[in-house]
Amino acid sequence: MKFGLKAAAAALILSASLALTACGGGASGANNAAGAKTTTLTLGAVQEIRSWDPAQAHVGHFLQPYQAAYDSLLLREPDGKLSPMLATAWKYNDANTKLTVDLRTDVTFSDGAKFDADAAKANLDHFKKANGPQMAQLTAVSGVRVVDADTIELDLTAPDPSLEFYLSQAAGLMGSPKALGTEGIKTEPVGSGPYVMDKAATVKDSQSVFTARKDYWNKDVQKFEKVTFKILVDLTARTNALVSGQVDATLLDPKTGKQAEGAKMKLAATEVDWQGLTLFDRDGAKNPGLKDVRVRQAINYAFDRKTILDQVMLGQGTPTSQPFGKASGAWVEELENKYPYDPAKAKALLKEAGYEAGLVLQVPSVPGFETQLAVIKQQLADVGVTLEVGSAITNTYTTDVAAQKFTSMYFSLFQGEPWVAINQIISTKALYNPFKTTTPELQAKIDAVQNGGKDAGKLAQEVNKYVVEQAWFAPLFRVNQMYYHNAKIDVTPQIQMAVPSIYNYSPAK
Amino acid sequence: MTRFILKRLGSGLVVLFAVSVLTFFLLYISSGSIARNILGDQATPEQLAVKEAELGLDQPIAARYFSWLTDALGGNLGTSWFTSEPVASSLATRIPVTMTMVFAAMILIAIIATLIGVAAAVKRGWVDRVVQIGAIVGDSIPGFVIGIILVTILAIQLGIFPATSTISPGEPASAWVLSLTLPVIALLINGVTGGAQQIRSAVIKQLERDYVRTLRSRGIGEREVLFRHVLRSAAPAGLTVLSLQLIGMLGGVVIIEQIFALPGMGPLAVAATGQSDQPVVMGVVMYTVAVVILVNLIVDLLNGWLNPKVRAS
Repeated sequence: MKFGLKAAAAALILSASLALTACGGGASGANNAAGAKTTTLTLGAVQEIRSWDPAQAHVGHFLQPYQAAYDSLLLREPDGKLSPMLATAWKYNDANTKLTVDLRTDVTFSDGAKFDADAAKANLDHFKKANGPQMAQLTAVSGVRVVDADTIELDLTAPDPSLEFYLSQAAGLMGSPKALGTEGIKTEPVGSGPYVMDKAATVKDSQSVFTARKDYWNKDVQKFEKVTFKILVDLTARTNALVSGQVDATLLDPKTGKQAEGAKMKLAATEVDWQGLTLFDRDGAKNPGLKDVRVRQAINYAFDRKTILDQVMLGQGTPTSQPFGKASGAWVEELENKYPYDPAKAKALLKEAGYEAGLVLQVPSVPGFETQLAVIKQQLADVGVTLEVGSAITNTYTTDVAAQKFTSMYFSLFQGEPWVAINQIISTKALYNPFKTTTPELQAKIDAVQNGGKDAGKLAQEVNKYVVEQAWFAPLFRVNQMYYHNAKIDVTPQIQMAVPSIYNYSPAK
Repeated sequence: MTRFILKRLGSGLVVLFAVSVLTFFLLYISSGSIARNILGDQATPEQLAVKEAELGLDQPIAARYFSWLTDALGGNLGTSWFTSEPVASSLATRIPVTMTMVFAAMILIAIIATLIGVAAAVKRGWVDRVVQIGAIVGDSIPGFVIGIILVTILAIQLGIFPATSTISPGEPASAWVLSLTLPVIALLINGVTGGAQQIRSAVIKQLERDYVRTLRSRGIGEREVLFRHVLRSAAPAGLTVLSLQLIGMLGGVVIIEQIFALPGMGPLAVAATGQSDQPVVMGVVMYTVAVVILVNLIVDLLNGWLNPKVRAS
């Protein structure tokens, strides 16, 4: 069988040549020369952004790429302090219903257009009507008035303690008035920011490449010659790209973080979300047991938060009993361990409330939190509460929450500025308060925050104390966001953002 | 022949239509929160209503389907609800990446599987046993696991290949080759082992047929028997397996593209499905179904060309 041997040989040669041609190419990016100060920054981005129109900008992970192309009116420092950027000064009237903003006069956009009061007004008006993902940021603004060439006034229908924060976020990004509303700006940003897009090197869903703008006005925030956002949706892909040197920094999780640490990557951790139970049905409309504050407190006492954190999140986070974040101003030290692990007390409270025989708590299953649900089910069972885990939520869950489909839910929620958090989880307008629970006492505290101006954060502590004492939630822990980077760059974490602002990166010293 | 092709294309169109109706209505069931998913959890009911009207979500489902259908028949697949990018242009940039990979893998599978399968069938003995064991091993390891193993060894430890795709403008053709090598290998291993098994059995079956003995008894050379007669008769089985593998690969490639960050159809399909981005999902589904219909048609035609007996039936 002459042919048989030949065929086998041919197959071998073919597979060998495949391997050989593959070997001939040489490494790509794996062996970056250390030593010389780097002038490029390559970031592993978790998702492609939807549109470069600044009115379509988003929060959190999705803000960073816009910051490369667009300056914002205010700049949010890593610790959350608001500093001047395109706005030099800003001031509320006494009723907190009118914000006067002074603007820089020496800034131009990358298409040559000048930044002035008309440009700022055009941007804010555009943001209000462009139906973007963060359009709610300017809901309180009823109109924008040009006072003179470098001053605008924002009229508010009601005080909004988060407005200044919003002006450092999506609502504050300023695009060229000539480009706003055009088709072009959707794929190529036109801003006054530190970098301009290299359109030729940019490929949708693969990478966005930016180069330093030559005559940029604020050299302090322009630290690289070239910035590349490489789109790496998959966690495994991000881990591989980081440890093989293809990207300088990216967002991982506690498990993949171990692999990155093995490859000598550095961690810039920050707490952004909290995880735990939200006890929606505090009025007992569908689950009468939840109406009794003792039952809700008993649920809180049932959890050994530290052990759950260590087991499930490899200890990456901080156990807590409060839903407000540490950096928010509404955080209260005494509330941190308000409900220590105390099964005996939980049982006693349930007995007092008349649920000695047991209580049933229903939650939907949430993809990604199966382990957490299994652990809390066990710990609740130990005190006599049966956790029934229903079918998994789908991408209609926000509608399902609003439709009061769930009486409780285990979830991870963002810990933002106090007023943002109140309108997300506590006020009667909040999506995550679907049964619209409130009391006159709580409403008075919320109103105080809204009208509190500069004291809003401190006043929100009262709201925090109220909902913790009333056990509206059963928070377990704040979770560390595992942002890793290599030794070529330094990264300062940004509060309330898993992915830091673009200004927080610099070449390693 | 023309009649056969037209008939098949006609039934293909019916399938396309049926799948489009089914997909559209399935998406409708899970699209309740679209406006809120786009505008975030702080959007007011008024803002949600404006967005729904903008997307046409306030129309009845039948009206929405017919509006999509008439647009699609006119060549307009609509624009993504989330990115405002025309669906046709998203598909156009992604199809080449996915198809380059799938066809490279298919061609290699066809060649390697045939060589291994024929060798095993003709040689039998230890060669056959090695192929059999290899087939079981190859079949039992999923492509994405192979992909991760390849990346860990060849990209991260040895630095021979990029860990994730570097395909972008300005990069030389070698970057394409380097970027696609590991994903293609990850894709083709299952196909090679499965294909080799099928070809081996088909060739063995043919070799045991009477006509082979007759040919040999007339003194026709072994090589001619194998190439002109046996392989030709065994080809339909191989082709059918290949076409099934290609269709299966359209699913497998989704995960491989995610792991290697290749900007192909996979990440687009995953992102769009997760968000219920109806125009994009419809575009991806229609395109995939069209590929499956065409592949089946081509395989049937090839089978007819190779083996006249098939043509008659």
